[in-house]
Amino acid sequence: MPTTLKDQAAIVGIGETEYSKNSGRSELSLASEACAAAISDAGLTPADIDGMTTFTMDNSDEIEVARAVGVKDLTFFSRTPHGGGAAIGVMHQAAMAVATGSAKAVVVYRALNGRSGSRYSEGVSGGPTTSDLIHWSWYMPSGLMTPASWVAMYTQRYMHDYGCTGEDLAEVCLSQRDHAVKNPRAFFYEKPLTFEEHQSARPIVEPLRLYDCCQETDGGAACVVVSPEMARELPHAPAMIRAVAQGAAGDQESMTSFYRPSLSDLPEMDLVAKQCWAISGLGPDDVDAAVMYDAFSSNVLFQLESFGFCEKGRAKDFVRDGNLRLGGRLPSNTHGGQLSEAYLHGMNGVNEGVRLIRGTSSSQPDKNEHVLVTAGVGVPTSGMVLGQG
Amino acid sequence: MQSLNYADVTVGDSLPELPIDLTVSLIVAGAVASQDYTPVHHDKSAAQAAGMQDVFMNILTTNGLVSRFVTDWAGMDSRVTDVAIKLGTPNLPGDTMVLTGAVIEKNDQEGSVTVEVTGKNAWGNHVTGTVGLILPREAN
Amino acid sequence: MALAGKAREDFEKKLKPYVGIGIGVEDVGRNPVNQAMIRQWCEAMGDELGVYTDAAAAAVSTHEGIVAPPTMLQAWILGGVAMAGGEDDPRDKQKELHRLFDEHGFTGVVATNTEQKYLRYLRPGDEVRAATQIESISEQKATGLGVGYFINTRTLFYDQDDAEVGSLTFRVLKFETEDRPSASEGEGSSAIPGKPQRIKPVLGHDNEWWWQCVEKGELAIQKCSSCGVLRHPPRPMCGECQSTDWEFIFSTGRGTINSYVVIHYPEVPGYTYPLVVAVVDLEEGTRFVSNVVDVDPAEVEIGMSVQASIEHVDDEMKLPVFRRA
Repeated sequence: MPTTLKDQAAIVGIGETEYSKNSGRSELSLASEACAAAISDAGLTPADIDGMTTFTMDNSDEIEVARAVGVKDLTFFSRTPHGGGAAIGVMHQAAMAVATGSAKAVVVYRALNGRSGSRYSEGVSGGPTTSDLIHWSWYMPSGLMTPASWVAMYTQRYMHDYGCTGEDLAEVCLSQRDHAVKNPRAFFYEKPLTFEEHQSARPIVEPLRLYDCCQETDGGAACVVVSPEMARELPHAPAMIRAVAQGAAGDQESMTSFYRPSLSDLPEMDLVAKQCWAISGLGPDDVDAAVMYDAFSSNVLFQLESFGFCEKGRAKDFVRDGNLRLGGRLPSNTHGGQLSEAYLHGMNGVNEGVRLIRGTSSSQPDKNEHVLVTAGVGVPTSGMVLGQG
Repeated sequence: MQSLNYADVTVGDSLPELPIDLTVSLIVAGAVASQDYTPVHHDKSAAQAAGMQDVFMNILTTNGLVSRFVTDWAGMDSRVTDVAIKLGTPNLPGDTMVLTGAVIEKNDQEGSVTVEVTGKNAWGNHVTGTVGLILPREAN
Repeated sequence: MALAGKAREDFEKKLKPYVGIGIGVEDVGRNPVNQAMIRQWCEAMGDELGVYTDAAAAAVSTHEGIVAPPTMLQAWILGGVAMAGGEDDPRDKQKELHRLFDEHGFTGVVATNTEQKYLRYLRPGDEVRAATQIESISEQKATGLGVGYFINTRTLFYDQDDAEVGSLTFRVLKFETEDRPSASEGEGSSAIPGKPQRIKPVLGHDNEWWWQCVEKGELAIQKCSSCGVLRHPPRPMCGECQSTDWEFIFSTGRGTINSYVVIHYPEVPGYTYPLVVAVVDLEEGTRFVSNVVDVDPAEVEIGMSVQASIEHVDDEMKLPVFRRA
């Protein structure tokens, strides 16, 4: 048995559906198409798959997807909670499964009608009495019930503590939009955004404005994880999982961790970063590009600090120096991110991470030995480092 | 009564807000004045049979109030050319609808302006839409 | 259940012949345009524009005389009291089409859009008639109210000289009501209770006592009976000493804003926007999240001293809210 997950698994196939505002079909249909595409891209057949994993929030059961796609016997299946925080949690599950021999080839997927179906922007409201709903009940009566409102709360404090402004947030949005403009999968393909448009857009929850918020998307994304040995037999150069980790930190709430000493910190992502560096033996200087979870623009700033790309409070300077753009220190969200490609709960970011390693991104940086991919911010979360095979 | 000229108006101008108390009297008077005796607009039991808690405003009254809101501002030398509305939450007794609006377009050739109007009650937008009107070039 | 497959195909075949046809009956105004009905309309609408009712003022306006309010256009041809009778004219193809929808389960009806154009203002003495055509029927759509079809009709209005004076495009949704009574006509469909209220907390073992304190006018803070540590939100066990014994104290409500947001979107019924919500550091050392009221959102700032008071935020719920101290 391995003692860590370093290089114990590789991503060998990626697939996705069209990203749209109205898919006109079921989420199961989207999930099936994305999985089939990922399996085909890996050079495998559905019968080769024996593991499946997705988000607890996904509405398409593993066994339903398996039947639709033609996957036969499953020896591993699991679910990861906490919305976008699951995006690399599922990769962690898949890597553990292949590293331990619980499965040989695991399909990871996420599909949702996030715009035409149930929309996250509509917020939380009633339902059966669970500890989760008791949690939201501390916020619903005062009207704090959407992801934008929760993230705005700690963004406000962060901006106050470190002198960060809406102009710094704009640079995150603009750099990503510039990437999306070149990406045919992106909703904002060939649709540039100006600084003025960002600054004059309507406020959603101050301090966040319209373009600081991710889209709502209908679509599906999937990838296939296998062992390094199996990966060598397959057509694509593998994206090796150098490190993968999850993290939930002390006094954690889902999205509303307002009771910790500082609202400006993201201890769960600090915990993920610490593990990623420890497992991989790498550090921020070794990473050439990143896919940073971006449900909201401010998320990116927090994470740059958690992973040590800059000092605490200095992300605004790092961003303003153009470091997220091609040619910068850390080209990030080269697909446009969830702000400008699509909001697939981070799974489209996993696929972009693989493209960066393969050298096939529509905004491909020159160096691509190691790529960081992160998941949801403000919830129990996760992250991974991908490397060349 | 003062009437606006085309030159007095700038894109972005806001119209004075107009709150309308939604009473049974208004709803029934509007229905009667528009010759719309569909029972749900004057007969509470018919409205309840249709799933509503009380009589609710008919569309003609909504149109009439939207037009009044805009001509209260524009004055009597204006000429309304079109009213295009989208209907949302019903107007029910006991609530208040607040009409707000702003000039969103000017057409120099036609001397026309387009006003965007929103009528909002406690449940959300009752009506959203646009009113097109022609304003005189100079004082009549 | 929405129609699907063959049943849907058959139904949509039956709809086709209605597209593009006249409704078969012409609406002729029972009265010429007249001052009495204009005055009644203006009084109902509270419309005091002189050109409708004040002959002297109207004469010197651009209209050069009394005109009817343009939005009265349809009022001149509607049926009046007879509409309350509910008897449909058997020749009316629009009513026939609605019945066809009803028979296939699309019993709900809601008007979604109207667009009126006025080529000229009507004047007392004008005689109005109107002809309506079924312009189009949409594909089957999934809407917030249910699965249904949008029907567009277009009505052209003519005067005594057969000159067109205006038009009305009307869009209704015929939708499937699931165990919901259908609105017979007009713009409402689903049952709407009274005034919108805020979303209430869900109550369970771990939080119900706290809300009962609020009902009594107190902002409570849970306290471990064993080690004395305060905690909020309440939990069943002390994270410091694992004791499940607890009591509570009442906060003074004095605190400082740690962070805050100003919510603009989405606007949820029952709340007033822009809505300020803050994380407040209470002087006891725990935090509490609630609204900051009676302050211009632009004046709220981190570090501001606030004082909680427990009050009704709607007809049904009390909540501790903060004001500038």
